[in-house]
Amino acid sequence: MTPNAASHSSGPSRRSFLASTAVATAAVAGGMPLLAACGGSDGGSRDGTTSGKDAKKLLPAYVASNVVTPDIPSKNGSAVGFTGKLDLAGLKTSVPKKLGKGNKVTVMSPFWGSPPKDGNAYYTSMNDLIGVDVVWQNQDGNTYDQKLGAVLASSEVPDVVVVPGWNMTGKIPSAIIGKFADLGPYLSGDAVKDYPNLAAIPTDAWQRSIFGGKLRGLPMPSSYVTGIVPLYRQDIFEKEGYEVPRSCDEFMALAKDATNARAKRWACLDMKWTAFNAFGVLSGNEKSLGWNEVDGKLVYRIETEEYLEALEWTRKLFAAGVVHPDAKLGKSNATDPGPKFAAGEFLIYNQDSSQWWSRTAEQATQNPDFKIWGMDIFGHDGGAPTLWAQNPAGIFAFINKKASEAVVRDVLAVANVTAAPYGTKEYMATNYGVEGTHYTVKDGVPTKTDQGNIDVMNAYVMVASPAATIAHPDFPEVAKGQVEWQQRMGAVTRKPAFYGMQITEPARYTNLSNDFEQLEDDVVRGRKKISDVQQAVSDWKSKGGDKLRDWYREILDENGSAAG
Amino acid sequence: MSHSTVPRTGTEAEEVNENAPAAHGGAPGAPKEPPAAKQGLRVRFRRDRVLLLMTLPAVLLVLLFNYVPILGNVVAFQEYDPYISDNGIVSILHSPWVGLENFQRIFEDSAFWNAVQNTLLLFVLQLVLYFPIPILLALLINSVVRPRVRAISQAVLYLPHFFSWVLVIAVFQQLFGGAGLLSQLLRDHGYDGLSLMTDPDTFKFLVTAQSVWKDAGWGIIVFLAALASVSPDLYEAAAMDGANRWRRMWHVTLPALRPVIALLLVLRVGDALTVGFEQILLQRDAVGPGAAEVLDTFVWWNGVRNQDFGYAAAAGLVKGVISLGLVLMANKVAHLMGEQGVYKK
Repeated sequence: MTPNAASHSSGPSRRSFLASTAVATAAVAGGMPLLAACGGSDGGSRDGTTSGKDAKKLLPAYVASNVVTPDIPSKNGSAVGFTGKLDLAGLKTSVPKKLGKGNKVTVMSPFWGSPPKDGNAYYTSMNDLIGVDVVWQNQDGNTYDQKLGAVLASSEVPDVVVVPGWNMTGKIPSAIIGKFADLGPYLSGDAVKDYPNLAAIPTDAWQRSIFGGKLRGLPMPSSYVTGIVPLYRQDIFEKEGYEVPRSCDEFMALAKDATNARAKRWACLDMKWTAFNAFGVLSGNEKSLGWNEVDGKLVYRIETEEYLEALEWTRKLFAAGVVHPDAKLGKSNATDPGPKFAAGEFLIYNQDSSQWWSRTAEQATQNPDFKIWGMDIFGHDGGAPTLWAQNPAGIFAFINKKASEAVVRDVLAVANVTAAPYGTKEYMATNYGVEGTHYTVKDGVPTKTDQGNIDVMNAYVMVASPAATIAHPDFPEVAKGQVEWQQRMGAVTRKPAFYGMQITEPARYTNLSNDFEQLEDDVVRGRKKISDVQQAVSDWKSKGGDKLRDWYREILDENGSAAG
Repeated sequence: MSHSTVPRTGTEAEEVNENAPAAHGGAPGAPKEPPAAKQGLRVRFRRDRVLLLMTLPAVLLVLLFNYVPILGNVVAFQEYDPYISDNGIVSILHSPWVGLENFQRIFEDSAFWNAVQNTLLLFVLQLVLYFPIPILLALLINSVVRPRVRAISQAVLYLPHFFSWVLVIAVFQQLFGGAGLLSQLLRDHGYDGLSLMTDPDTFKFLVTAQSVWKDAGWGIIVFLAALASVSPDLYEAAAMDGANRWRRMWHVTLPALRPVIALLLVLRVGDALTVGFEQILLQRDAVGPGAAEVLDTFVWWNGVRNQDFGYAAAAGLVKGVISLGLVLMANKVAHLMGEQGVYKK
């Protein structure tokens, strides 16, 4: 999966703290054994998961830092929301003293969209604020998996590498353990208190940052509710009198109605991810999330009926000609769909919920009629859907193990600024850039300028973020819409058996399910058949899937199920 | 797009071949000397020592950059994990040996055979539809008398070669894509749109068409050079004997081109399994691997994308072996045709 990342920062609230400790204790209580290194010869600390007392020793202490009380508290696993007016004059300072020592730090990170030029005003101002010379090596987020393996195999690994959970395929987990530094000495226990904004990151996000028995990642905490929202052009829906669909059949009918290829309009892009949600398919976000216990037996997502049904329905959409031709190109079409969405060439697409706000901000000045909104995920039969939780942190920044202590400290200085909560100067600098250049203030409301929409994207938020927060002082109604969407979807979200655990599979199984995403894309575009998927699943079983099942069973027996 | 992480034996085989004719050229007087085998090695060494000294830098470079990396192919016999150490050699030493397991997997992998099939089909298609075009273009350009027109048309033909594949494919997409110029024009007139860019059935023709558009012009250079070396006397003599244009082309021009055509054909066959990495990788997802996977993208996908480096290296080795076989075969054919080919026995 390749959702657009970048959750927008936050002020950790007491509620989200409580929620997160509850999860952490659940994991701790369930897991008596320390390091569950399972499955024969590979052994050691390279595969398995870390929980219980062992995890507790590694986890940083939690120190809440309430800066602004959220207007919408967290509910059903949602982020906290801020919809009131932000007091720009009264922003607090969460980093009183520059922690950076001026080292050069190279960061490789996925980027969705067109990266700004090096040395732009945003990068310069952030580097000044932190006191570190961060040099960005942005790579296309849609094809990040294709770069990562090669870069990590080279001798030129950047100082910091950002790795989303969905890119941890093949031998990447082995690379994370082999190539990245143990941050335990800098962050475990009370050590984290040198970096107060990192200390305010919820414990369940840190729990997920333990790789190979060591604390290695700087997490981007997120809501456990799915991040993939079916986004649609509400303005065109209203103009044409379209109703938001409540079932797969309604969606199909609407799509046929809305498509007029001659007028260069199609209903949607590839809706595969939404189909998976509508049919209640286990998450494909991370390998361990794809497993769940059904009637006492562990089942992987590709083995389920729902998986096939979701693919079949998506195939029908393509076959009906309601999908924009660009979507047929799959990943080869790495262009930003934004302009064509704004031009009304298609009306619905699914992406990370952060685009709900970023598209709004992009179009606000030139295109006042443009209105993007998120539709509720529908159950395929018109009932309530069953959604599966994603992990409470899905994107991590890692520090090269060859980096000197000075560089590690400087990276942590960067993270301490980017993880600043909502209501601080650092939050504004990270998410809005420089006043006058990247945003202007009118009636106390910050509005992004064109340059702001170009420069202030992805980048710094990828290093570390505060507890999941949704706050858009420029578009409070969007923030409200996003949080409420998460809360409604959160009400029907369930946690699978391995929720919250960071699990590294043994090397010999890591390539087993590599080609399924490709196969899915082939099937929905009509190039392969459902029977090909069934064949691939039976191959998967015989080539090691069944043994992998036993391996996961051992972890489950030792740690207990997180399902709920 | 870099694919240097995976050792590719195809390229190395090619380098060796390219060096062969140069070595011939290095001893111009060879036929006049007594047969080499009859002289002692020492005598020959002393005679040629200056020449040998002069080739030394080139030999060292070839050794360092072509032969030493070949040793990296040992990972084909390993479950290679480049991440256990920062040093590739240490990683090789610590990766477990699996013997021929990777090769066994290759022969059982239908995806590999699919890639072989696609590669060969594309090669044949390119040989039939692409290879003759530069020859025809060269003949055409050669017949243009006015130097100005000739220079302009040459420039126009060479230009696309300098566009990157990304650009070429983007242009094709804008023109022939599902929402492109041509499709919308058709829709405006009540027809269905085309899906040329995403149709797996016609993909190989699309790829060939792109190659022709981009590189056919560039390919005429060698043929033009060969044509320039034909003495005008021959044409005059043929004209005196009453040969018309067609007969002059058949009896004078084409025989002059024959050695070059044979040489390029052999080289092309040696390169048969390299049918365009970047071009195909960029369009792989548009039609799916079923139609677009070729050996090079197969190696890339398994090595770089899936980090299954040992397996990818094994596939690369198999490719190298097949390529070698093809070169030997093509060279044999060239000899039978009475041409030199890339080397003589």
